[in-house]
Amino acid sequence: MRTEDRNEALWKFGSYIFLLTLVVLVMVPLYWMIVAATIPQSEFFTWPPRLLPGFEWFSNFQALQENVDFVRSMGNSIIISVSYTALSLVLCSMAGFAFAKYEFRFKEPLFYFILATLVLPIQLLIIPLFLLITQLGWTNSYLAVILPWAANPLGIFLMRQNMKAIPDSLLESARMDGATEFQLYYKIALPTMLPSLAALSIILFLNQWQAFLYPLVVLQDPQMYTIPLALADLVGAQRVYFDQIMVATSLAVTPIFVVFLTMQQYFIKGILSGSVKQ
Amino acid sequence: MVLGAIQSRVRSSRTYQQLSDRVRYARQDVSDLVPKIPGLPYAYISPFFILFGIFLLFPTVYTLYLSFFNYVSVSNDILLQIAAGPFELTIPQIANLEWVGLSHYERLIFRDSLFHTSLFNTSFIFFVQVPLMVILGLATALVLDSKFIRAKGLFRTLIALPVATGLVAYSTIFLLLFNDQVGLVNYVLAQVGFEPVSWLGSAWGARFTLVIAVTWRWLGYNMIILLAGLQTVPQQLYEAAEIDGATRWQKFRYVTLPQIRPVLLFVVVSSTIGTFQIFSEPYVITGGGPSNATITIVQYIYNQAFLQLNLGYASAVSVILVIIVSVMSIIQIKYGGEE
Repeated sequence: MRTEDRNEALWKFGSYIFLLTLVVLVMVPLYWMIVAATIPQSEFFTWPPRLLPGFEWFSNFQALQENVDFVRSMGNSIIISVSYTALSLVLCSMAGFAFAKYEFRFKEPLFYFILATLVLPIQLLIIPLFLLITQLGWTNSYLAVILPWAANPLGIFLMRQNMKAIPDSLLESARMDGATEFQLYYKIALPTMLPSLAALSIILFLNQWQAFLYPLVVLQDPQMYTIPLALADLVGAQRVYFDQIMVATSLAVTPIFVVFLTMQQYFIKGILSGSVKQ
Repeated sequence: MVLGAIQSRVRSSRTYQQLSDRVRYARQDVSDLVPKIPGLPYAYISPFFILFGIFLLFPTVYTLYLSFFNYVSVSNDILLQIAAGPFELTIPQIANLEWVGLSHYERLIFRDSLFHTSLFNTSFIFFVQVPLMVILGLATALVLDSKFIRAKGLFRTLIALPVATGLVAYSTIFLLLFNDQVGLVNYVLAQVGFEPVSWLGSAWGARFTLVIAVTWRWLGYNMIILLAGLQTVPQQLYEAAEIDGATRWQKFRYVTLPQIRPVLLFVVVSSTIGTFQIFSEPYVITGGGPSNATITIVQYIYNQAFLQLNLGYASAVSVILVIIVSVMSIIQIKYGGEE
């Protein structure tokens, strides 16, 4: 009996050690980012390296901003990500509503067709998209990044799955009360879908915020760079200034951390909605 | 005879009655749902489908088409012009192309050693990283799912935090951490008495750096999914197993594992798809080097298409990539769906 208790205690102890080790391993890179962003460039090459953060974040930021217009890149990222999310939400929720709550010809085949495209990797699209965007004269424009991925198959799938839960009787009684069909969509369906919309927004926003390969192809003007492009440009520069890169990285990740920590339930819902539902 | 008796008993049972009521009700509901305005559903779905057609469907088909051609130049010629009264639609020919048939594929499969290198590198990351991450993610989820752990939410949040970092952003951190001269990793190694490792300067060092980085970024993501899967396992199954005197391992092997098999399969398949599409990490951390030791398939596509403007050839690589990913997923689903 006593050995069993001891085993149990050991198991518990081991579990905590395992979790704590993981937490440390996860946090060290983030901690190191903070250290590197807040110490002067000159101290990068001292040995042993500085292990504690300093107070130089702002002067490092000024150096970064003198080197490249990073604030402009942040603005670009915000404009692109926000408008992309908004547009995609409208498209996906409208189409999702139709697929969930109306009967029409070719409904099933159309829906399964969209589902099938979920598995297509984006690399399959970038070469023709590059040609198309060039042809349209949209290179170096916001539109070039916003439009192509707005019709998001995952988005329509999630919207349709969730909107199926809206009771038909609710829509029917609204019709009796004289609501127009469009009011059914934006006065009944959308408000009841807020948690799903929030989860989908987070997926869409995060995808666009960190998108790299496609923007790299269609945005060549540094003025139009999004955050990932500006970061990669700093890394690829002749001389690598780690302090500036880490300042830029800290600016890139902080907004998403705030979203993650404050809206974690939607974040997790977003991650799970892509997986658990069949 | 027996069958008939069973059928009539089923028909008279309450569940059957309820079910058929529900079906009748559902059918009636559907007929109510036929919209009052004909064509309304199409108005709802058409904005989506227009963008979907132009920016997703067309490019997909065009990549396949392009893989049989050599790209020559941008073209402003008109491919198709439709004029119907005031409405006029002009579809331009996107590019001037030169037919080469299957020769891109022939060169890719038999003669392109750099493509083979990229295939090897990507497969290496796949074979090492995916098992490492899935096992670690499962272990973490199992520990977090046990009853005695306190502050579960805090642990989960902290371990999942990398999910919120952008791909390029986190790659820059690993570029610094594994820097040969000023990186923290070599400093820590030196503190515990190891020789410094040339992480980014050697082929295997660079490959392992990528494996470690990707695992760091996606561990929490997979843990969240696996944890959700574990929480759906009925508690009674564990209790029954305990009554039968099952050990911890037996409970895991005969209760947990079969129950979360679909979730586990999802994690493996999506990690496989993700690994074969890896691009940002090698682009930022290793630049594909040293001497192409970490160049990945997508990086090769990017280089061929946008640095050397071999758009046709790069399209053929894309098609091969899709085939590889599909075959891998089908094998996993077939093999993992059994039992």
